[in-house]
Amino acid sequence: MASITYSNPREIDNTVDVPGRRSTLVTGNQTFSSVTEMVCRVAEAPQPTIWYVLFGFSSLTALMFVSLIGYLILTGVGIWGNMNPVFWAWPIVNFVFWVGIGHAGTLISAILFIFRQNWRTSINRAAEAMTIFAVICAAIYPGIHVGRAWLAFWMFPYPSLNLWMWPQFRSPLLWDVFAVGTYASVSLLFWYMGMVPDIATYRDRSKTPLRRFLYGLLSLGWTGSSRHWLRYEKAYTILAALAAPLVLSVHTVVSFDFAVSQVPGWHTTIFPPYFVAGAIFSGFAMVMTLLVPVRSIYKLENLITLRHLDNMNKIILATGSLVGLAYATEFFIAWYSQNMFESFAFMNRAFGPYWWAYWTMVSCNVISPQLFWFKKCRTSPIIMVIISIFVNIGMWFERFVITVTSLSRDFLPSSWGYYRPTMYDGLMFFGSFGVFLTLFLLFCRFLPVIAISEIKGILSIEAHREAHSHDHH
Amino acid sequence: MTTHKTESDSLKLPDAWQGKAYLLMAVGLGLICVSGLIFFIGYSDARATAFKIFLHSYLANFMYCLSFGIGAMFFVLITFLTRASWNASVRRWAEIISMTIPSMAILFAPILLMVLANNASPLYEWNQAKEDIRETIVQQKVDYLNGPFFTARAVICLLLWTAIVTYYYKQSRREDETGGVDLTLARQKWSGPLVMLFALTVSMAAFDWIMSLDADWFSTIFGVYLFSASMFGFFAFMIVSFLLLQRNGKLKEYVNIEHYHDMAKFLFGFTMFWSYIAFSQLILIWYANIPEETAWFKDRVEGDWAYLTYGSIALHFAIPFLGLMSRHVRRHRTALAFWACWALIAHWLDMTFLVMPNAGPVSMPMILGHVLGGLGMFSIFSAMILVRASGVPLVALRDPRLPEAMSYANPLL
Amino acid sequence: MSAKKTQPAVAEKPKSYGWMSEYVDEHSLLAASRKVRDSGYTKTDAYTPFPVHGIDEALGIKPTILPFIVLCMGFVGLAAAATMEIWMNAVSYPYIISGKPMLSIPAFIPVIFETTVLFSAFTTFFAMWGLNLLPRFSNPVFTNPRFDRVTNDRFFLHVDSRDKYFNRESVRELLAGTNPESLEEVVEDSTPSKFPTIIWMGLATLLVGSFVPATIIANMRASNDEYPRWHVFFDMDFQPKKKAQSTTTIFADGRTSRPQVPGTVARGQLEEQDPFYLGYDPTKIAGITPANKVLLVSSQDEPKAPSLDAPVEDEAAKPAKETEKANDAKKEEPATTAPAAAPAAAGPNLPWVTDFPVAVSSDMLVLGQKKFEIYCSVCHGVGGDGDGLVHRRAEQLQQGYWLPPTSLHDPRIRGQEVGNIFFTISNGKGKMANYAAVLTPKERWAVVMYIRALQRSRNADIQDVPVDQRAKIEEVKKAD
Repeated sequence: MASITYSNPREIDNTVDVPGRRSTLVTGNQTFSSVTEMVCRVAEAPQPTIWYVLFGFSSLTALMFVSLIGYLILTGVGIWGNMNPVFWAWPIVNFVFWVGIGHAGTLISAILFIFRQNWRTSINRAAEAMTIFAVICAAIYPGIHVGRAWLAFWMFPYPSLNLWMWPQFRSPLLWDVFAVGTYASVSLLFWYMGMVPDIATYRDRSKTPLRRFLYGLLSLGWTGSSRHWLRYEKAYTILAALAAPLVLSVHTVVSFDFAVSQVPGWHTTIFPPYFVAGAIFSGFAMVMTLLVPVRSIYKLENLITLRHLDNMNKIILATGSLVGLAYATEFFIAWYSQNMFESFAFMNRAFGPYWWAYWTMVSCNVISPQLFWFKKCRTSPIIMVIISIFVNIGMWFERFVITVTSLSRDFLPSSWGYYRPTMYDGLMFFGSFGVFLTLFLLFCRFLPVIAISEIKGILSIEAHREAHSHDHH
Repeated sequence: MTTHKTESDSLKLPDAWQGKAYLLMAVGLGLICVSGLIFFIGYSDARATAFKIFLHSYLANFMYCLSFGIGAMFFVLITFLTRASWNASVRRWAEIISMTIPSMAILFAPILLMVLANNASPLYEWNQAKEDIRETIVQQKVDYLNGPFFTARAVICLLLWTAIVTYYYKQSRREDETGGVDLTLARQKWSGPLVMLFALTVSMAAFDWIMSLDADWFSTIFGVYLFSASMFGFFAFMIVSFLLLQRNGKLKEYVNIEHYHDMAKFLFGFTMFWSYIAFSQLILIWYANIPEETAWFKDRVEGDWAYLTYGSIALHFAIPFLGLMSRHVRRHRTALAFWACWALIAHWLDMTFLVMPNAGPVSMPMILGHVLGGLGMFSIFSAMILVRASGVPLVALRDPRLPEAMSYANPLL
Repeated sequence: MSAKKTQPAVAEKPKSYGWMSEYVDEHSLLAASRKVRDSGYTKTDAYTPFPVHGIDEALGIKPTILPFIVLCMGFVGLAAAATMEIWMNAVSYPYIISGKPMLSIPAFIPVIFETTVLFSAFTTFFAMWGLNLLPRFSNPVFTNPRFDRVTNDRFFLHVDSRDKYFNRESVRELLAGTNPESLEEVVEDSTPSKFPTIIWMGLATLLVGSFVPATIIANMRASNDEYPRWHVFFDMDFQPKKKAQSTTTIFADGRTSRPQVPGTVARGQLEEQDPFYLGYDPTKIAGITPANKVLLVSSQDEPKAPSLDAPVEDEAAKPAKETEKANDAKKEEPATTAPAAAPAAAGPNLPWVTDFPVAVSSDMLVLGQKKFEIYCSVCHGVGGDGDGLVHRRAEQLQQGYWLPPTSLHDPRIRGQEVGNIFFTISNGKGKMANYAAVLTPKERWAVVMYIRALQRSRNADIQDVPVDQRAKIEEVKKAD
């Protein structure tokens, strides 16, 4: 159909804009149809070899994860390294890690939407998808950590004829059930609703009856009617307004799991905003890790431009520094409080038996993103992927440090211990990446990776602005 | 020629306001003196208590007025950091508000001098000879909480803020003459590191100036709390001042309903953000129930302070939240004026809530004196703004982003 | 129009739904829309690949009531969550967790917030589709093959034939005058509306199949089975261990619990005969009374028997429990007398230790005071008058069944030997629990010493005061 013009992303640097004249968000003089073409090609053209290689690898890893869950359920949580005094070990670390990653998507689609950040349109759909897959990975861990995983539904307030009792709403763990449950379902609605017009595009371009039928079913008979668009946009706005506080609340509630207790190193009031900043930080890093390869494999450089990456890197820098500030505040108040348990907990983190984890965390989370002060690092895909992977590692270690150091040495020296993970801890964590990647690859294969209709809206606004500014001069 | 004249006229402070600055300042000083007098008359048999209440009241009102400047400073910095354009027409006023920080610093000098003289123990219990401090836990903190170090930190904070706001204000004024994009780009370049410094210093100021009133109490979120409160107050102040300016026929063509709408959204957003931070602090301390932490809340829910504490939930959260929820309210000048004034009062009550319960139980002279002191401090603060703003165009006319700010709309939300 | 409809030739044609024009950009669409609106048509719609701003005004579309619906449902969610939490945790199933009140508002807020958002978000989503009358898979606009580009790069304007001013020719002319890319009539979807049989059958099979597992589970729950159940977790159901009092084939006597091996000493066994640990001398026990029977048997048993430490304590606690039961039974009577009323509470009559088995020193007294104030004073009071905080609180609450703690200055207690008091501390008495777990024997003796000192302090004469301090007391006396 329409021809696509690719422009070399290096040639047009849209990361700089002269104050008063905005650079274009998408490069290469795109038209409505070329945008459609560029995005639909991802799912319509035969997948590149790398897709099959990755899919084979990730689906096998996912299969291993599922079998290990089976083994875990049949044998018991004893296969993990969780042992007195560290009963909350890798499962909760992995849970918080994945939930944190799951924050970027809704943040991009909701909070950036509220702040009228138009650049979100190129990355929001993939980020939302990533959010949902990350939340799926996260939700698995508490489910299998309860020991009797087949009774995990007891956490929900349903009228049980056998138990005649209700869940305990004063427990932060139950708040988590509600927070993560709400977050997962609202993110799913948000993601799906945003995709409906684009699925309709897929439907209208389908060549085979099966595709047309399935995409037709999913697109709910979308016609692009203006009356529909009006309500749709209103609904999108309301969902964004609802999702913005929701996204803050989820990691806040996760932080409550730790902070309402009296365990030294956990009970500190900055935990809610600090966890949220960390979650955004890790989420953006994961979006970066995924999107940089995606944009080069599927030739989306004109839609996901350097400017988008530059902006995301700035957010990574900002949140990384906020996290560093929170580390420093915690350390300072541990001394300031003159509470010997708190002071000990923090000295123990930095110089105790887990010093290696602590310094890995600090160097990956606080020091490595500081490279993003330099524009060269913010606009070089290789460097940003490396840094974002470091950030992911650092954020995993942050949760490890918080969970394990505090539990392994709390108030009572006689019950101190040193936590060691088992092989199964490692394999299952690795396996969860398999699930995540498999779902993401399927998403690229079958669903629109970029919000086509939203980009067209931005194109229209930009064209209008261009015409307007020509009128002036 | 005539159009040009009216245009530049519309950018000036109303004539009636121009000469009022010194009157306001005198009234303000008078009111503060009267408030002190009320405390001393009310507590004629307990001079020490009266002095203690006066100092607390002074600090609370000082923080109230300073917080507008803090909010304005952040607003200016974040504008450049995010390359925002919507607020190009209202940014100059924020710069003027932020320029109150150097003058407000003078009002902090009495407290600093007292602290240096190791004489402020009615205000800061750690500020006395180590062996006189009642609590061991506070004694152990004197390496950090001591007169010279406290003063040094405060001076660094205030100097740094002064440097930041002066730089941004001066550059903005220079732009009025030169135009072009270079000055904007320069300010853009510095905004990133300065926002980081801002976060650090605001936390430090919050810990030092307010949190250490209760020297054995601590809360890591306290800096964020002060930040959220300042932003809330700042946006309310912006809305109120623009409404007043426009009522006097100024800035009609530069500040339109879209700008109000956006500032109102921020006010609404910070209503929620403040509640989020305040609730987080409350629930963590309530749940863990550790005596050294709950003591702070205990002071605030005992006696008549409980009315203020529980009242804040409605005044600072529930009522303005419901009030500002509708898009129609946010686009309605009269309704907005009401809610912005409401927010200014709620913010004052919030600062009172942070500081005053440390001074002792509520009493009639305390309320009366504190309110008058607040009015006095606010008059002085307004006078500072008037002095700064007189003769200065209230819109940065040659800001390269001004055309964008004049031609956008809030289609949704 | 109506005449045309009656013609049989036209009736065979698919029904018309008006005209649809196509445009290449949003500006021509907006211009055309304004023209159509100004001509008075209201049953119109524009179809666009993205939301075109200003189209609502150009077509005269009214704002939606969606926000209002969401607001209402948000309040419903808020109320539902609050009601649920309060009812479940404070009414239907109240129990105390970490000392929090049943109705803990701060702890209920997170779930209230989440549920409010959940309700609002679901309402937003479903109400939006509902108001849009979607999903709707069969739509006349789809019959135009050019309409496929509506989700790509084309803009369409539709004037419906059901509009009350609709006139086939004039609408065609009006739209043709807006310079459209194409102009076609919208006709009824002629494809069969019957659901394909294969999908029907598939769905039906799925539906029936989904009942199978549920039926099996229901059947298993409702019926008995002669076969043992299926052990999914075999190693949990059958653990490789022996329980007490069961049999084994490993040992010749078939007992799993093994007797003490000759020549060994069990933990704590050496303490069983030592008055320091007991408060009485077991070798001097004279006769058996019902009260000390248990103790006697235990101490006169063959010395090689396995440790009886635990059973002794258990048995000693028994009379106390019985007293409690007796007291519970008396709950209704407000004026209960002292626990001494119960015969068992009189305690065993044993050969008590009469002198402290440890050296009396000021260090010991200080230790005793410290421990007394930690453990004893909450009930017995700091002065030993039986007026501790617990007692005062109970009186405040006016609990009729509360038994006041014994005053340690009671002549009965003053008359007790030190060993007897030690025994009481070690084993408890009446409502008083035993403190053997928290106080070492030495500390218990120290507490006894301190109690003796307390008792002496109320009954001292001038002779008890050291010579050099007497003058001071005289001074105070004079001053009074």
